[in-house]
Amino acid sequence: MEPDMEQLMEELHQCRRCGICRNAVYDAKGFDGICPVYENSTGFETSFMRGKIIVALALLNGELEKTAKSSESLFDCTLCGNCTQICPAEFEPAHTLELVRGVLAEVPNQVREEIAHKILSNNNPYEEDNSRKRKWISELGFDIPTNGEILYFVGCTAGMRIPEVAKNTAKILKAADLPFAVLEEEPCCGSVLLRTGKPEAAAETAERVSNAIKESGAKKIVVSCAGCLKTLKEDFPNKFDIELPEVLHILELADNLLQEGRLKPKALPGKNTVTYHDPCHMGRELGVYESPRRVIQAIPNVNLAEMETNRETAICCGAGGGLRSYNSELAKKIASRRVQDAVETGANILATACPFCEHNLQSGAEILGEDIPIRDVVSLLAECVE
Amino acid sequence: MEEDTIEKISQIVGSDYISTRDDVLLSYSVSASTGYDQVKPSAVVRPGSTEEVSKILKVANEANLKVTPRCGGSSLQGEVIPAEGSLVIELMRLDSFELHEDLRAATIGAGVTFGKLDKLLKAYGLWLPVYPESSLVATVAGNVAVNGAGPGSTAYGCIAEMVLGLEVVLPDGRIIQTGSEANPNAPGPFLRYAFGPDLTGLFIGSLGSLGIITKVSVKLSKRMEEFHYQTYGFQEAEQAENFLIELKNDNVNAVFASIYEGRILGFFMDMLGEEYHIPEHDWPPFTVSVTLGRLRKDQLESDVKRAAEICKDLGGGVIGISELPRGEWDDRMRTFARSSYAHGWHWRILYHHQTPSNWHKSIEAIWDVMDEYALLGHTAGFATGHSSYNFYPHLYYFPEDEEEEQRVREAHVDLSKRLFKTGAVPFKLAPYWVEGVKEMQEYMKVLKGIKDVLDPKGIMHPGVMGGL
Repeated sequence: MEPDMEQLMEELHQCRRCGICRNAVYDAKGFDGICPVYENSTGFETSFMRGKIIVALALLNGELEKTAKSSESLFDCTLCGNCTQICPAEFEPAHTLELVRGVLAEVPNQVREEIAHKILSNNNPYEEDNSRKRKWISELGFDIPTNGEILYFVGCTAGMRIPEVAKNTAKILKAADLPFAVLEEEPCCGSVLLRTGKPEAAAETAERVSNAIKESGAKKIVVSCAGCLKTLKEDFPNKFDIELPEVLHILELADNLLQEGRLKPKALPGKNTVTYHDPCHMGRELGVYESPRRVIQAIPNVNLAEMETNRETAICCGAGGGLRSYNSELAKKIASRRVQDAVETGANILATACPFCEHNLQSGAEILGEDIPIRDVVSLLAECVE
Repeated sequence: MEEDTIEKISQIVGSDYISTRDDVLLSYSVSASTGYDQVKPSAVVRPGSTEEVSKILKVANEANLKVTPRCGGSSLQGEVIPAEGSLVIELMRLDSFELHEDLRAATIGAGVTFGKLDKLLKAYGLWLPVYPESSLVATVAGNVAVNGAGPGSTAYGCIAEMVLGLEVVLPDGRIIQTGSEANPNAPGPFLRYAFGPDLTGLFIGSLGSLGIITKVSVKLSKRMEEFHYQTYGFQEAEQAENFLIELKNDNVNAVFASIYEGRILGFFMDMLGEEYHIPEHDWPPFTVSVTLGRLRKDQLESDVKRAAEICKDLGGGVIGISELPRGEWDDRMRTFARSSYAHGWHWRILYHHQTPSNWHKSIEAIWDVMDEYALLGHTAGFATGHSSYNFYPHLYYFPEDEEEEQRVREAHVDLSKRLFKTGAVPFKLAPYWVEGVKEMQEYMKVLKGIKDVLDPKGIMHPGVMGGL
């Protein structure tokens, strides 16, 4: 887990300070602004990636003292990757910033320390009894074993904060007649540890997850959280050398099941126009854009309306990169802007595919005073296949 | 900076929009000008209106505080590197947009980028047909302050040709409006050359050292949708040069035209050839890449035919590869960044204008300097308007190689002197263009007189304009 400092510095030096990462509007390519932090904060240079890289270099070469204040801008970032999408230089700024957070371990940051402590102590960031991650099962009317070839990795937020997502995922799997398991004691995937710069803690949780999955006998892992998806599918092999069985989002699986005719959704009552918010981890990071849209469009009585920025250029909901914990006001403000984007489509439902996004967009809607329902695509589908 | 000065400015803009934090100051100590030393300001302020800019300048005058105006921070010759301890006034919050459709004009705030403007205008079937190749970052006002150019300039000239009037805050805080809008009863911007001398021109290219441009009124045109992309090959530089001249003479509407000689084309291919799907080709010694643009298909067809005839008459041939000009044009809002950001280099750049007939003189001077100083680099450029050609040679270095960077700095100054002798002119009056150049002494005296009258305390962006 030792970072390659030489390579990291070289990556930071790739930035030519062009500033495209600030607020580029490139209509032909679908960009309408880049950095949600810039757009929703006081907007100094440190709010967007160009300034953050200057600060990172200064912290790493000793030009800036490593204090909580001087490093604040490095954590005021969702790591959404919209800047990476448009950056002309030969590096990936958001990934690089994530690494910088990791090597600046000595920088005091109470929020990330607390999160790490909670996760390592409780296997979840909510400081609750981890067995609650299976509590929702009691409301299903059918039991779910703890071992099996298909494992539903619930995730902390769905398991403990938005159990509807977990229940609906289970209903879809049940409707497709797919036997599946949920771990007895599911550890946190560690996504938030990686994003906030706690790679050692993340390695520890990765080990726990890996062992638990091995013991479950899983040959396929289904997740309902974009953060879990990226962490298990990409970070585990790339950062920890841990190879898991196939990992896919429930909507990728549902998309396949719909195409095979194993799921036959009934119509959603009324006339519905749904707009879909791409979670950054699922979209920009892993390129999963079409499965959720195909699932939405497979539901009778549902039209899909795209927000102005979508797929590769979608503006972030504001929750990622630890921002919801580190600067929740900013995270919610960003969410309110994204909800406004959704409202402007004329849609009567804002759907997404990540409990983290759903939770934050809900906060954004409250700020705006908008009552547009915010739902997971999983819940829309589950409603039609029960 | 004095506490009470900070407090006064804070009262003007609100405490959220002024910062003296070390990390923030550091981020304003640099810009896209990679080849320049960073200099830390003492504070940064982000005003939200022209009136706030005015009040800030009044405070700065009282306090004898140097100020550095800054928009997108995309300039490449150190134009927004602040003076030591100065106050950076960053204008990106001035994002107003007012369309005067009947006048085919718009008035836009200093924080509006070309990319943003383009999107706003597209909805009306209009455009501002000059795109600096940093259009996603550069603001129109910032570009006016340096008199920039870009794709579109081949037909329409530098951005100055598009300007109908300016709102400027003078160094002492007075707000003036130039052009027809100086008459508050005027329906909008319709004439730049109103009320006598061209005050507008005084601020264009002044790099913010005579005042802060807070709004720009620009000419607009109906948006073209008919384009033709073609490459034309020649054996001699003179033929390629004459090709550009004859296109103009015959009113063939090239919106973007560039001459590439072999080495330069190789460099470009290395950077963007694959991405623009430009096929492998045994290119001639001189290639002219041309985008023709017209409102109507019949006009375009006539231009395409005539361009081929002119090429043939000059002894050249139509190459038939359209991907190079198409890539340049379609990606015009960011080609510069994309074609320059290769292999981890930083660079110094030396913008200047030549006549098309002197194109080869710039090329010779550039290669001579690069060879003598053992540097890697290239030059790009394009025809700009009536009879000029914009060059922007890059002198590359690795940021970790201090010795190489020093050589680049020396070569950069040397090249400016050599280019001056070839008849080239800068549009950004960096000090190295005039230092020790006796032919420019009287000119600089006049400029200094103007500067002294407008800015008696010398607070406005000192040193950036010819060292004044």
